[in-house]
Amino acid sequence: MNSPLVNLIVFVLGGALAALVFWPGRGLFARGRRNRRLANRVALEDALKHVYNHEVREDACTLSSVAGALGVSSTRAVTLVDRMQRGGLLRLVDGRLLLTDDGRRYALEVVRAHRLWERYLADETGVDPVEWHERAEKEEHALSAEAANALAARLGHPRFDPHGDPIPTADGAVGAEPGVPLAELAPGQHGVLTHLEDEPPVVFAQLVAMGLYVGMEVRMDARSEQRIVFDADGRKIVLAPILASNVSVRRLQEPVVTPDEMATLAVLKPGESADVVRVSPACRGLERRRLMDLGIVAGTRVMYERPGLTGGLCAYRVRDTLIALREEQASMIGVTNIHRAGSPDRAGHKREPAQS
Amino acid sequence: MSHERTTTGTGLAASPCAGCQHHVGNLVKLGVNMERFDYVVALAGNPNTGKSTVFNSITGLRQHTGNWPGKTVARAEGGFALGDRRFKLVDLPGTYSLLSTTVDEEIARNFILFARPDVTVVVVDASHLERNLNLALQVLEITDRAVVCLNLVDEARRHGREIDHRRLARDLGVPVVPTVARSRKGIDELLETIAGVATGEIVCRPHRLERRSRGVQQVVEGLSTEIAAAFPGLSNVRWLALRLLDGDTYIEEALRSGELVELAGNGVPVAQGTALQVLERAHELRWEIGPDFQDSLTEDLYAEAARLADRSTAIDGKRRAFDLDRAIDNLVTSRRFGLPLMIAVLTAVFWLTVTGANYPSGLLASVLIDRAQPLLHHLATAIHTPAWLAGFLIDGVYLATAWVVSVMLPPMAIFFPLFTLLEDFGYLARVSFNLDGMFKRAGAHGKQALTMSMGFGCNAAGVVATRIIDSPRERLIAIITNNFALCNGRWPTQILIATIFIGALAPARIAGLVSAGAVVAVALLGITMTFGVSWLLSRTILRGEPSSFSLELPPYRPPRFWHTLYTSIIDRTLIVLWRAVVFAAPAGAVIWLSGNVHVAGSSVAEHLIHLLNPVGILIGLNGVIMLAYVVAIPANEIVIPTVLMLTAMTAGAAGAGAGVMFEFESAADVRNLLAAGGWTVLTGINIMLFSLLHNPCSTTIYTIYRETRSRKWTTVATVLPLALGFAVCFLVAQVWRLLAG
Repeated sequence: MNSPLVNLIVFVLGGALAALVFWPGRGLFARGRRNRRLANRVALEDALKHVYNHEVREDACTLSSVAGALGVSSTRAVTLVDRMQRGGLLRLVDGRLLLTDDGRRYALEVVRAHRLWERYLADETGVDPVEWHERAEKEEHALSAEAANALAARLGHPRFDPHGDPIPTADGAVGAEPGVPLAELAPGQHGVLTHLEDEPPVVFAQLVAMGLYVGMEVRMDARSEQRIVFDADGRKIVLAPILASNVSVRRLQEPVVTPDEMATLAVLKPGESADVVRVSPACRGLERRRLMDLGIVAGTRVMYERPGLTGGLCAYRVRDTLIALREEQASMIGVTNIHRAGSPDRAGHKREPAQS
Repeated sequence: MSHERTTTGTGLAASPCAGCQHHVGNLVKLGVNMERFDYVVALAGNPNTGKSTVFNSITGLRQHTGNWPGKTVARAEGGFALGDRRFKLVDLPGTYSLLSTTVDEEIARNFILFARPDVTVVVVDASHLERNLNLALQVLEITDRAVVCLNLVDEARRHGREIDHRRLARDLGVPVVPTVARSRKGIDELLETIAGVATGEIVCRPHRLERRSRGVQQVVEGLSTEIAAAFPGLSNVRWLALRLLDGDTYIEEALRSGELVELAGNGVPVAQGTALQVLERAHELRWEIGPDFQDSLTEDLYAEAARLADRSTAIDGKRRAFDLDRAIDNLVTSRRFGLPLMIAVLTAVFWLTVTGANYPSGLLASVLIDRAQPLLHHLATAIHTPAWLAGFLIDGVYLATAWVVSVMLPPMAIFFPLFTLLEDFGYLARVSFNLDGMFKRAGAHGKQALTMSMGFGCNAAGVVATRIIDSPRERLIAIITNNFALCNGRWPTQILIATIFIGALAPARIAGLVSAGAVVAVALLGITMTFGVSWLLSRTILRGEPSSFSLELPPYRPPRFWHTLYTSIIDRTLIVLWRAVVFAAPAGAVIWLSGNVHVAGSSVAEHLIHLLNPVGILIGLNGVIMLAYVVAIPANEIVIPTVLMLTAMTAGAAGAGAGVMFEFESAADVRNLLAAGGWTVLTGINIMLFSLLHNPCSTTIYTIYRETRSRKWTTVATVLPLALGFAVCFLVAQVWRLLAG
């Protein structure tokens, strides 16, 4: 038998080796899998998508931009583009790459798969918003057109991906991207966020971290060269212009409940009640359906009855039933008309300024 | 009156099945056998409305429970007779709504839609009328034969609410029968009404929602008209239109396959093209209804439910609703008393289980093992059974089974009813509420506190109990980590080994305290493992699984003692016991054979021990223990008897004979035998650790597979604790040896 010390060392080394190989996402095993992404078809589809994106944005796409976007050498890019030209997917006009009709159809299929998958991740899984794009980047190559159609049917034929980009239909029709840049909203104007650009991922992650989501109702407070300030969900949000340029917005008429009258359930104190205005669009899928089934819909009066013992969880009385909600859930429920219980009668919805 | 009796008198129709509408083919598909029954009645309702009380007071003990075909959702069915008509009653899963896509709601919805029960009874809690009417309205959209059972009217009165059930019946267009199911008040009238609706004597004109948001209203009307034109004879076109607009794949498929049309039963075959045309149209219209369509459906339903509830409820302003509930909650969720009270209650439950089980366990053991086993041997000798056969059957199969029954049955028969009583009273939901913060930090659900506690009784039962967690990710976490709750079958091992090896290290007067402390430390290590592994799982392999949180704190209700006792013994104890016996019997055979079949001069067991010894020694155990854990996979209860038998065999000490499990009366005898087998303090510590951290017993593994329907998760749940056990024991052994020199 070995000495214990040797055994321990062997154990630690073995454990470290196993972690090195199998660590999710970063281990050798995962890396190896990722490297296979450089397979030809994947590169071809990524190149098509790249050309398509340039076409939508109406700027020129060149051989070097393809090489840059795919992260391959220009030699490899040349081979790739040549192959695509011979396959009738691309044409070269004055040094600019353009899609043929076949190429556009193919590109749209990939885009459709990508956006549908993002929609699926948002609605039916618990995957973090920051990961949607990256995961869809992989899945778009694996999802066949039939599988994409089946997925679309299962999701109730969604029209937009969770970033607000239109999902091309099976026939290749693609709606217009709605909205104008956030900065075009004049101070005092109301709007609803329609699109959060998912590239570059760092910027998107920052927008998510600041609590922005598609469907968020905002009111412009002030805008300048240095910063853009707006009210939403009962708080003030300050964005740098570089971040704001990745956010689109649709103008709204004055909403029934303005942002300063609106707060979230999470700000209530024990004994206070409030009327639900809406469940935030950022709350999706299973979670959203569950909340609504429990009777948390617009117009429901909710009373904060008691805090939990171990933090985060609070009990609310909703339609005579005691329901415990976690803090993250409570902060997804927009409310207005906060008041102490007992003061107003059941019928008279006396309006008081909301606290935030 | 929108419902009325069309015929008078006794109403005994010529055919026993007058006016029945159920679909026999679909019933069979859904696992309901209609032989010997004339009518089928479905029971729907929200959770916590006393639905199962209604079910029990209608069927009495004539009921049996099982699962829905292919699903891990429990189902109960029973029967009752009224005059010469026989009714089958099917209990649907308790749901808040029928709009979502959870398994429970799918089952309830599909049963009402496709099996077309002759009557659907919606149980409604009178003190939460508004919330319950939401479901009732949805049921009325699908079927037009329904009865509303307005249950718990006494409780509503206590909360100062008086419901005008006649007005409610007029508004809903279906009969409303007030009941107090606990005391059977109103049940007879309910049965009469069910019979009336089933035979068609009472005609329902169910209230269907008209008020929809303006833009949507037009679209829905348009599509409804088209469906009605394409499929004459369908009674719930508006509902179908809504489902199609909502993109309900189930309904789309039923329309495409012609199943829906067949249900309408007018015999006119519909061309495939018509269905596709309607689907196409629905698809187009979907672009016109806006993104908030789903929300507005729920909002409309709740608005209508609130309106109807308001119209029929009179509130006595003097009585404040739910005062007593508040008072109890103030105590059990208070910062000062909440946690101590919880620890006291749970300790009391465990103490009652452990001490209460001692006597019946001893009694069973003395009858089944001390008396019956020798008796069986005498019998075998008397009828000249060959010795090997008698040994195989009596010392192998019978002994293992008897052992498992005598050790397992009493604690479970005490633990489960106690637990169910606390659950029915409403206390356990408060335990989840109090502890959720801790579980949340580990990425788990507060209800896992309950499934974990249940695991201290039996891991298999704990795994089944995870059904109360309705979020897929958190449920998987609870299933995989349940094995870290030290179950009943492992406590005796812990206590015995702690007494022999740990207690003996301390001075005699505190030996008991020290060994008890060691056992508690192992149990606490299990709880720590639960949190640690939950945390790891939620952040690695389970990261993308869908997750949601909901926890209802039901109103406190006095539990029904005898009923709980009966159902928890039938539903939980006997089922688990049966599974254990099924696995224990073959294990007994294997144990006996391994000790008695000889190859090349020594028994199979000795060969295996020799083979496993190096691995065992490496992790601070030995070959005997390794082998015992392999053959004792069926039940942790037989690990120690097997260890003793194998040790006696290899050490050449006195035992009960090769392949015959046994236990000593005194701990000193056990110590002497184990010392002869080469055990040290390290072996003792490591067997305690390994007993906590090893694969679940085969009953639990099987249960995990049944609950998850996934080989992957079953494998993870099996291998993960085993790997942890090896790692921990290995580290302890090496460090121990390093320090001991």
